[in-house]
Amino acid sequence: MTSTAASTSPPRLSRGAMTGDRATRTAGAGVVVAIVLAMLVPPAMVVALSFSGERYFDFPPHSWGLRQYRVLLEDPRWGSALWLSVKIAVPVALLAAAVVVPALFTFHRSRLPARNALQLGGLTGLVLPVSAYAVAIYGVFVQTGLLGTYFGLVLADLTLALPVMLLVTSPALSRIPEELELAAMVAGASRARAWIEITVRLLAPAILAGGVLAFMTSFDESVFINFLGGPGQETLPRAILDSVRFGLDPVVTAIATLLILGTSAAMIFAVRLTRDRG
Amino acid sequence: MSELVLEISALEKSYGATRALRSVDLCVYRGELLTLLGPSGSGKTTLLKTIAGFEAPSGGEVRLRGRDISRLAPARRGVGMVFQHYALFPHMTVAQNIGYGLKLRRTPRAERERRVSAMLELLRLDGLQARYPRQLSGGQQQRVALGRALAYDPQIILMDEPLGALDKALRVEMEQEIRSLHRELGATIVYVTHDQQEALALSDRIAIMRDGEIVGLGSPEGLYAHPPNAFVASFFANANLLAVEEAVALGDGTARVRCAGCEIRCEASAAVAPTSAGGATLAVRRHSLRRTHSEGALRLRGTVAELLLFGDEQQVGVDVEGLGRVVATMQTRECTDLALGSTIELYAPAGEPVLVGQ
Repeated sequence: MTSTAASTSPPRLSRGAMTGDRATRTAGAGVVVAIVLAMLVPPAMVVALSFSGERYFDFPPHSWGLRQYRVLLEDPRWGSALWLSVKIAVPVALLAAAVVVPALFTFHRSRLPARNALQLGGLTGLVLPVSAYAVAIYGVFVQTGLLGTYFGLVLADLTLALPVMLLVTSPALSRIPEELELAAMVAGASRARAWIEITVRLLAPAILAGGVLAFMTSFDESVFINFLGGPGQETLPRAILDSVRFGLDPVVTAIATLLILGTSAAMIFAVRLTRDRG
Repeated sequence: MSELVLEISALEKSYGATRALRSVDLCVYRGELLTLLGPSGSGKTTLLKTIAGFEAPSGGEVRLRGRDISRLAPARRGVGMVFQHYALFPHMTVAQNIGYGLKLRRTPRAERERRVSAMLELLRLDGLQARYPRQLSGGQQQRVALGRALAYDPQIILMDEPLGALDKALRVEMEQEIRSLHRELGATIVYVTHDQQEALALSDRIAIMRDGEIVGLGSPEGLYAHPPNAFVASFFANANLLAVEEAVALGDGTARVRCAGCEIRCEASAAVAPTSAGGATLAVRRHSLRRTHSEGALRLRGTVAELLLFGDEQQVGVDVEGLGRVVATMQTRECTDLALGSTIELYAPAGEPVLVGQ
């Protein structure tokens, strides 16, 4: 951050301006630190609360312990909610990869007219307000009988997961030179073989990272499930929402803690996957 | 010459209204290194891509050992190629890169390993077979790229500016390496470059390209001493192109020319029409100009307008009345008395100037 500030400042500056610049930088750094700390307070509190031994929300707790985690494991409702979330998020991630990878070759390797516009169109799901999108999908699902079905939920989440996958993999493919495919082809590979053995192989870390993020997008989805889910379809986000709505159960702090840990691990994994390729 | 390997006839390539290749004819013989030399946009890379099969020709054909390959997929042509930025597979080791073509040909494992280790030895890459491309120096990567193209014994090897990404010292070293490899293996090579020095150093023959056409074809010495036209004279032979006042071709390969008030007899290239020499210009190479008179020499008189020191040699720009700027490259010690604005007389010895057509 400081290096950016230094490199963007104009070359001719008086000494006074330099000290002023330093003061600005210090103030800027202070603001950033404050914001980051403020962002870290709620999750930190949730983690702390999850180790409370009480049956009710109480801060600071009178006793500590693993009560919340024990309750979480004993109540079958949370397990089945988690299972449904995973059952939706895994196929969503796989389908996102299955759709986006072939599409990438169209966007990057074909001479299809308007392929750039098409790629931009692929990001729609990311730009539209989710609730507006949910209403639109609701209309379609009512017509087609997909409302409240497992398949419908997978399809709905896919509209959000596709752009995420595209955003991660598309820049990665532009960094893979086309010459590599040509080299494979001239050495005796068919176009399909060159794509699979060379390009898709080199794209694999980005596809995996995109898959992790697509999974997280679907796993964490809480708007569509409320619009489109049937009465029996309780995903983890919905279960959390309901438990908060119908009386505060401190068990949610344990769930939240596990989610924070899982998400952080997945994000770090995804970032490393895309960065390690130099 | 020996056996014909590659035969290109009436090859055309158009992208919409632009014609990237205009009826190109070219033969490449067994064991020769032929360079396609030209400025960017001259069609040399398009020609190479059409031979490799990355571009489909709009007309004409490419024959490899008598077999028409113009409509075949690149994989089925049996050519090897070295790319400008090496294009090594980053996820494969040196040995896997070199053996890739053999693996695709389902060469038995033992045979494959034997060929790969022969390549490693030939290219002085022993001990590096387990490395990945990113762990190699530029020169080593270049040699792996060569090995990958050579390993499956292709009929012909195409090289697309393979030294373009290297720095100058390494480029000179790799030039020598390619030349000795070429001699050792007797490989047939088509080599693309825009660098005249590289072409001179490597080639058995050079095809000079301009606007999608081959405008000069021959040995480096031949093209240098006897440029067939004005473009080859200036682009390849570093010649000055001088307007002539009168030129009469004599039909025996020579012409009588009046230029800068001087009447001389000189060589006329075949493209100049025998009777009238209209539109012809006189090509005088920069290196051929002297400050001393000799029998039958062309004399040019002007003022020094530019002095550029190269070291042992010096480039002198001279403004000659009626001809414009004439550039001479001379020994620095012959030019110690020169200063900007001083008057100078330059002589092109008899036998040096060539009358060329456009």
